[in-house]
Amino acid sequence: MTKINIENTAVESREQRLGTIVSWYGKASELSEISQYSKGGGCGGGKGRRCTICEASGPFSQASGCTDAMAECQAGNIRDAVLIKHAPLGCSSFQVALNTIYRYGLAMRGHKIENVTVTSTNLREDDMVFGGIDKLRLTVEDVWDRYHPKAIFIGAACATAIIGDDIDSVAIEYGEKLGIPVIPMHCEGFRSKHWSTGFDASQHGILRSIVRKNPEKKQEDLVNVISLWGSDVFTPMLKNLNLRVNYVVDMASVEDLAQTSEAAATVAFCNTLGTYLSEGLEQHYGVPQVRATQPYGIKGTDEWIRALAKLTHREELAEEYIAREHARIEPIIDGLRKQLAGLSGFVATGSAYAHGMMCVLRELGITLKGSQVFHHDPIYDSEDPAQDTLAFLVDNYGDIEDFTVSVRQPYQFYTTLKKVKPDFITIRHNGLAPVASRLGIPSIPLGDEHQAIGYQGVINMGFIILAVMKRQRFHQDLAKHVKSPYSQWWTAQTDANILSKHPELIWDDVSDAGVSAVKRAPQPISEGTG
Amino acid sequence: MTIHETARTDSITRPRYVCAIGAMYSAIAIPRVMPIAQCGPGCVDKQYAGLAYINGHQGAGYAGGASPPCVNTGEKEVVFGGNERLRDLIQATLKVMDADLFVVTTGCISDIVGDDVQSVVGEFQRRNVPIVYAETGGFKGNNFTGHETIVDAIIDQFLGDYDGEKEAGLVNVWTVLPYHNTFWRGDLAEIKRILEGIGLKVNILFGYRSGGVEEWKTVPKAQFNLVLHTWLGLSTAKHLEKKYGQPFLHVPVIPIGSIETTRFLREVAEFAGVDKAAAERFIEREEEEYYAYMDNFSDFYSEYFLGIPSLFAVVADSAYALAINKFLGNQLGLIPVKVIITEDPPEEHREAIKGEFRNIAPDISLEAEFIEDSYVIDQQIRALPRKPAMLLGSTWDNDLAKEINSGIVEVGYPVSREVILNRGYVGYRGTLSLIEALFTAVVRRIP
Repeated sequence: MTKINIENTAVESREQRLGTIVSWYGKASELSEISQYSKGGGCGGGKGRRCTICEASGPFSQASGCTDAMAECQAGNIRDAVLIKHAPLGCSSFQVALNTIYRYGLAMRGHKIENVTVTSTNLREDDMVFGGIDKLRLTVEDVWDRYHPKAIFIGAACATAIIGDDIDSVAIEYGEKLGIPVIPMHCEGFRSKHWSTGFDASQHGILRSIVRKNPEKKQEDLVNVISLWGSDVFTPMLKNLNLRVNYVVDMASVEDLAQTSEAAATVAFCNTLGTYLSEGLEQHYGVPQVRATQPYGIKGTDEWIRALAKLTHREELAEEYIAREHARIEPIIDGLRKQLAGLSGFVATGSAYAHGMMCVLRELGITLKGSQVFHHDPIYDSEDPAQDTLAFLVDNYGDIEDFTVSVRQPYQFYTTLKKVKPDFITIRHNGLAPVASRLGIPSIPLGDEHQAIGYQGVINMGFIILAVMKRQRFHQDLAKHVKSPYSQWWTAQTDANILSKHPELIWDDVSDAGVSAVKRAPQPISEGTG
Repeated sequence: MTIHETARTDSITRPRYVCAIGAMYSAIAIPRVMPIAQCGPGCVDKQYAGLAYINGHQGAGYAGGASPPCVNTGEKEVVFGGNERLRDLIQATLKVMDADLFVVTTGCISDIVGDDVQSVVGEFQRRNVPIVYAETGGFKGNNFTGHETIVDAIIDQFLGDYDGEKEAGLVNVWTVLPYHNTFWRGDLAEIKRILEGIGLKVNILFGYRSGGVEEWKTVPKAQFNLVLHTWLGLSTAKHLEKKYGQPFLHVPVIPIGSIETTRFLREVAEFAGVDKAAAERFIEREEEEYYAYMDNFSDFYSEYFLGIPSLFAVVADSAYALAINKFLGNQLGLIPVKVIITEDPPEEHREAIKGEFRNIAPDISLEAEFIEDSYVIDQQIRALPRKPAMLLGSTWDNDLAKEINSGIVEVGYPVSREVILNRGYVGYRGTLSLIEALFTAVVRRIP
């Protein structure tokens, strides 16, 4: 098992820790095979962090997303902490969208509704020359005077990392001066090829500086639930086991984060999000993590409940709950399966969440021929095969023929969708649902990520799919009238990865007036799937 | 414990504009023009989220959203430079994407490490590929100045020199900032409509009524440039004056309400030398319809017996703030108690902007304040001795409005609690929408 190193202020990126990749294609079973660290697989032939998977890379890419955004959606959503973005103002362009999410999450969890307090040091051209540290000091003082927070996070950005502003020293200086944790986060966007390193960056800071080091008490009925802003489904669920929920990181208070070391166990709605904090709490504070797959689909939920019950010594309650829920949901799910028969879906979300979502869809009898995950972690930080969510999917629910790892990349998504021709897609993160829409395919954006959790999650998803399928008529009509931004050449391609196999193709055919030649060619009126 | 007594530093919470690379949305606003982003992996996504996804839920259209080609700069390019990666990306873009013009926009990383974007783009320009570049690193300015940088790039690198004939009656219009101004699509459509109404041929340049690159190619032929904004577009007009010998007309007040719109149209008609009689016939028809609506509206405005409040405050960018104050103060007879300008206009324009606000009406003179930090804006509004009953602000002002028991209309960036398609607030028709929004908020103050 890899040591979670909380000595340094900078988190190790996912590439370094987990061998994370952002580009791959093939069958799910193949990826699972080469990722099975526990069995010594992997195309690099190694185990654990030596496991390296060859990545498909090509000359074309579209915009991805960055670690800073993910660090902001965690550290910026802690109720009595303040996140300072030591950056030009543009790095805060996400803020109004995140504020909407924050307010939604506060409402869902029954907290007072308020705006985010994320504050930018607003660096300008002069600051790039002379450094922005003085402005950072002023901003720390600003947020202290304004909010008297219980903790302050200082997030680096591309610009401040390159000019070498020493945020660590400012954090130490003001930590002492203010008597609160002041936490540097090295979350600059270029540091990692995948944004999920941003989750790790904020959790690293929490592990280092907020979690109570020597807890005087243990709370044997408290479970840390690492999640985002989804509605509160865990409280009623865990109540069946007489367990209380401690939601982290979003919508938590600093005290909620501090008491994570007192909990009986840690779970996560998604291993992509929770792997680092779960492992860190276990290694450094002795809080065990649930070593099971995730709570999606009936079988996954069964296993997850049993593993949690075992850790917290509530096996009997768990079996009663499982039996009760099976009896309740099975007739409903049978009914849903009949209504959903013949439908095919496509999952395009973060990695581990996608694995869970595919279990749910297969549980409902949905045909799944393809999916796109935004990255792939060959291992999670625990390196425990019990948490191998991809293997769980493949072993229990069968293979996925077109399993793509692609960090957003709508041009590939466009081609894959035309090939797989799903009736609907499920989606998280902006930018892909519009691609599907223009191809006549309705989307289920899972902004409230908890909708699919647990036994009720299977039912929820069934009804959501039935409702969203009614919108197919809108999207199919739209597809007849709008054009996607791809050239005639790309539109004709059937292999989404052709450019990683043949990068030299970019130099063919494009004459010096190539753009207008492409432009003038007649475009198909309809790109619909119908 | 108070650490320092400075009321204001340069820090910003709850921002009301974005950075220079956000102006890639000005390129996206031109039909079939596409940005290529030489920047880190998060910039494009964040600008999409902030400007198009959540702001009025406008949507990003053909070339926006996740579509723009992007180098997604990583550690390797930070250390070794991004030129080669950019060259491959542009070449690949020509193969994969379909657009009439590409605009390479740079981010902080590229501008700090000093990528030679000019020479890479130059290679393609020499091959007659329609492509330009603009340095839009976030620390260089905001999306307003970034917009001017991108417009200049298209003019200088794509349109180039022109010394041919001018076309009488053809006007280039430089007005509200696309996407950032949530109502730009409706506003541009209305501005084009009324200018055509008085007999002009209009290069509106952005939005669905723009003819895209073919329209832009006629920019050098225009008889004159119209800058319909407090300051944005002035530098463009001055540049065009030098480059193509085009005169320009600067109208700082975007017209809202019949009085201002008619005054505006007469001023433009005079400047352009169009057929005055024909222009007057259009104005007459428009006013007839406008006042038919006012005839009915006056029932509400005169006898809504639960009371129409008088005091209002505007927190918005300077152009909209001025236009709204002129209409509410000078035409509706409401009373402004505060105006805060939020877009950080360049220093050289600030005195002129202040001057405009001192001259709202014969009996209304306002001291405009320039504040970009929403925390300070909250403080300023809270400290007013007479609180506004109507706040024309942004998403960020909803909680404050509730706190001071004011109605709110989101008119300034960001507007996240409205879904906006073609609603605009300017010209004869936009005014009606503004009245609807404003007084809907008034009647909704009643529990």
